[in-house]
Amino acid sequence: MRAGHNMLHLTVHLMRDDLPSAGLALAEIGAFVPDNRPLCSEQLPEVPGVTYRERIRRARSHLDRLESLQADLNVPPVAGEGDPFLVLRRAQLVEVDEWLADAWKHCSPTEAKLQEIQEELGELEQLERSLDDFADLDVNLSHLQQGGNKYLDLRIGTVPAENVERLREALSMEQYLIVRVLGKGETVRVAIAGLRQEDAPIGNILVAAGFQSLDIPASFRESPEKVRKMLQRSRAAIEKFHHQMRQRLADWVDSNRAELARARRLLDAAEPYVELGESARAHGAVAILQGWLPAGALIEAESLLKGQLQQPFVIETRRPRPDERHLVPVPVSRSLLLKPFAILMQQYGVPRFGEFDPTILFAVTFAAMFGMMFGDVGHGLVFVAFGIALRRKLKEFTTLFIIAGLMATLFGFLYGSIFGVEHWLHPLWMSPMSDPMYMLTLAFGWGVAFLSLGSFIAIYNRLVVGDLIGALFDPGGVFSLVMYYALLGGLIVMLQGGGWPMVATMLIVLMLGLLMAYQWRELEAPVAERLLTVIIETFEIVNGYVSGSLSFLRVAAFALNHVALSIAVFTLADMMDGIGHWAMIVGGNIFIIVLEGLIVSIQTLRLEYYEGFSRYFYADGMRYKPLRTRSRIIPDSSSNRLRNEVSS
Amino acid sequence: MSRVAEQAYLRTRLAILNARRRDEAQLRALLELTNDELAAEFGLEAEQLDENGLDLFEQSQLQAWLNELNTLLRPLQGADRAVLVQWARRYEVLNLKALVRGKLGGLSRSEIEASLFILPGFLRLDHEPLLNTDDVMELLRRLKDTPYHQLGRMAMRRFEEQQDPFLLDASLDQQFYSGLSNCVARLSEPDRTAMRNLVGRMVDRHNLIWLLRYRHNYQLQPAEALYLSINGGLQLTREHLRQILQMQTLAESLERLPVGMRRLVGDADNLVDIRDALVLDLQHQAKLALRATQSVLTSVFAYLLLRYYEIKTANAIVQARFTRLPDYLLRDALFVKPLNEQMEVA
Repeated sequence: MRAGHNMLHLTVHLMRDDLPSAGLALAEIGAFVPDNRPLCSEQLPEVPGVTYRERIRRARSHLDRLESLQADLNVPPVAGEGDPFLVLRRAQLVEVDEWLADAWKHCSPTEAKLQEIQEELGELEQLERSLDDFADLDVNLSHLQQGGNKYLDLRIGTVPAENVERLREALSMEQYLIVRVLGKGETVRVAIAGLRQEDAPIGNILVAAGFQSLDIPASFRESPEKVRKMLQRSRAAIEKFHHQMRQRLADWVDSNRAELARARRLLDAAEPYVELGESARAHGAVAILQGWLPAGALIEAESLLKGQLQQPFVIETRRPRPDERHLVPVPVSRSLLLKPFAILMQQYGVPRFGEFDPTILFAVTFAAMFGMMFGDVGHGLVFVAFGIALRRKLKEFTTLFIIAGLMATLFGFLYGSIFGVEHWLHPLWMSPMSDPMYMLTLAFGWGVAFLSLGSFIAIYNRLVVGDLIGALFDPGGVFSLVMYYALLGGLIVMLQGGGWPMVATMLIVLMLGLLMAYQWRELEAPVAERLLTVIIETFEIVNGYVSGSLSFLRVAAFALNHVALSIAVFTLADMMDGIGHWAMIVGGNIFIIVLEGLIVSIQTLRLEYYEGFSRYFYADGMRYKPLRTRSRIIPDSSSNRLRNEVSS
Repeated sequence: MSRVAEQAYLRTRLAILNARRRDEAQLRALLELTNDELAAEFGLEAEQLDENGLDLFEQSQLQAWLNELNTLLRPLQGADRAVLVQWARRYEVLNLKALVRGKLGGLSRSEIEASLFILPGFLRLDHEPLLNTDDVMELLRRLKDTPYHQLGRMAMRRFEEQQDPFLLDASLDQQFYSGLSNCVARLSEPDRTAMRNLVGRMVDRHNLIWLLRYRHNYQLQPAEALYLSINGGLQLTREHLRQILQMQTLAESLERLPVGMRRLVGDADNLVDIRDALVLDLQHQAKLALRATQSVLTSVFAYLLLRYYEIKTANAIVQARFTRLPDYLLRDALFVKPLNEQMEVA
């Protein structure tokens, strides 16, 4: 139950030439996480393969851009995996890198040109609109072709809308005006006029403002109809050119698809070695490789290394040291049943190495609370059927649906409810509506148990890391838990008519005093601020327990809500006849399953996250990201002789 | 989180964080420490602080600032959140400037990467595809899918004539500060007035320093410099800016400052002293805001501002000590004059 309890620190002492193969072998297990700390940097100062990695990174950056272009051009990738490679040899890498660099050099100008043409088309569109916009402007439009005349400087163009006001203000200092602003959205069309001056810096201002001049064609003096036709012809010509260029580029990419796919396979195969980073260190011919590995994968790692490495090697393992707790990656549960819960837990955070792994507790309490709130045999079985039917899409979440559905079914039997009908089944326990107060009391009790368990785990987690002070004073620690119990005990005695017990008061005051004194000691601030902070923090602890306990009343509330919704559906159905009656029942049940199912899931998750995890879970553990291979790896004996080139 | 809970959370968080912040006396005290003690103060071994280690130290300090910002952002939503996110966007701007300069200077990918800040998830600029470009023109083309696409287009046109990042830098600052002013304008009271008091001062400082530099150092025409100014100043109105820019000398320009600002600038007759005076005023206002404002958002902003100065000063001390700069020079630079201007985006 301790997170990452089976993790080992692994050190492989090996010959430098074997490093790439060792990286691949460990990647194949899919369980080894490199440890990039410079642990032996004094004895082994070199990080091998730096230039090799740099080259791979460069090659990959070109490949990524080419593949993105391939996707933009709708050129499908080559199907199938092709032949995989074991180690990317230096000669291969150089060849692939150079090919990719040349390929990008070939494609990049065309890509840039295509973007330029797109902008040109945009400008043309603006020009077409400008035809109408400036038709009623009281100036001789032919002046626009020459940018005005001897005295008048006249320009039309587009400018980002947000720059117009500043542009207007700056131009006014140079005796220029923006005579018209047209259009909406990010870019607007403007006409600018002013007295022509030799040294006016208007050109620089316009560049800074992102002004894009619109070139007025010679035929602007023609009739609007003719001009429009001319613009349409221009647009058609540009679009044709754009299409041809795009097609040429697509043809080129298409004819080189196989090469691109090969480059991808080669670079993918080299990835594990790149990912080793500084976890591999060397001095001369000797090297080490360090990382974290689950104990269960050790035998497989050893046997794979034996199979792949040509020269002797030694494996050393040890348990993580206390000072390494925050560095040990924590694997999530691989069990089919627990996987969805582990994923949901990781959305909140990763447990620290050595602390209580809440996955099983989360799974049990989640399923139980969902069942309590959504107890219905029919609705539960629909959930199960839904999960099974959509298992391909839901993937690992299929089991979540099945477990939640089965728990709802179980509670359905306990409540005696099937598709909202309360009289078809005899309840094995009781119908929620038969005694709502009892249900609410039970839910409150469940909340107290849940919060207590959370506090116990929080205390355990702090003790595990040797944080005795935290175990005593933290929210969820011993003192706040005693205070919570004193408060609860006092309330119970009082509700039973025994009056508020003095011992409860004494315990509460004592615990509050201890908690406040601790916080006072921890804070460094002026007295007033310190007092305010201590009061707020202590209030937060008390409030957290009280509101947390009350929060669990929703478990009962949703169980009651489920029955109430069903009653509403049947009441409405009874008001109708024939098809309407059955349509109402079916539609109502679908409504309950979808809407209430969704709400209950969210509420359950909320209780788990905020009332559970936040109390005991540091959630700042190291995520487990093992080295993996993207391609299928097969032995390639021809590469062995060249390994020394790769690792240099 | 409700408004009351949000305020309680932030005030508590601020009180705790602010208690850890070093004030000027504590920063001065760092200068009295030995190298080992200084390294230990920051949880390091003295041997770790070689050239590489100093860079990592600086990065880790700024990363700590971003983490604190992230913590303080947690309960905020809507316009309150947007203003702090925009403030953090300065790192996007700095990364973009570093990328453009790196590409223009023909630096390698790893050299450029080393100068970039690791941005928190709530910022939008993904520098990875920008790093993977062959030259500055391709980089600017790749901006098309980012909030900086308009600037990218403008810079491409400019770079076709002249590969000088001046205009791009100025436009990036303008976009950043305008964005910040716009975010402040969308706040509700009492946050808007209190935030405007700080952000307006920052805009004033940026406008004054840069417009004087454009006008008197770069010899830009008044209209050109005015276009590059930012709206949203506190004391410097657009009319003040016009008048300042139309003057022929620095002294004449300073005479056109509004009274309050002239008093702040005092006898300063060069840009460094003017800038220091304005930064000192900004810090003073931030301290006031942290202590006594109704707007918790402004307190958060003020804290982040002061914390940033603290980090930069601590960095300067550590860097100077481990690069063997004499203490008296460092003391002069940091404390005899006002704290160095280090907030500027440009």
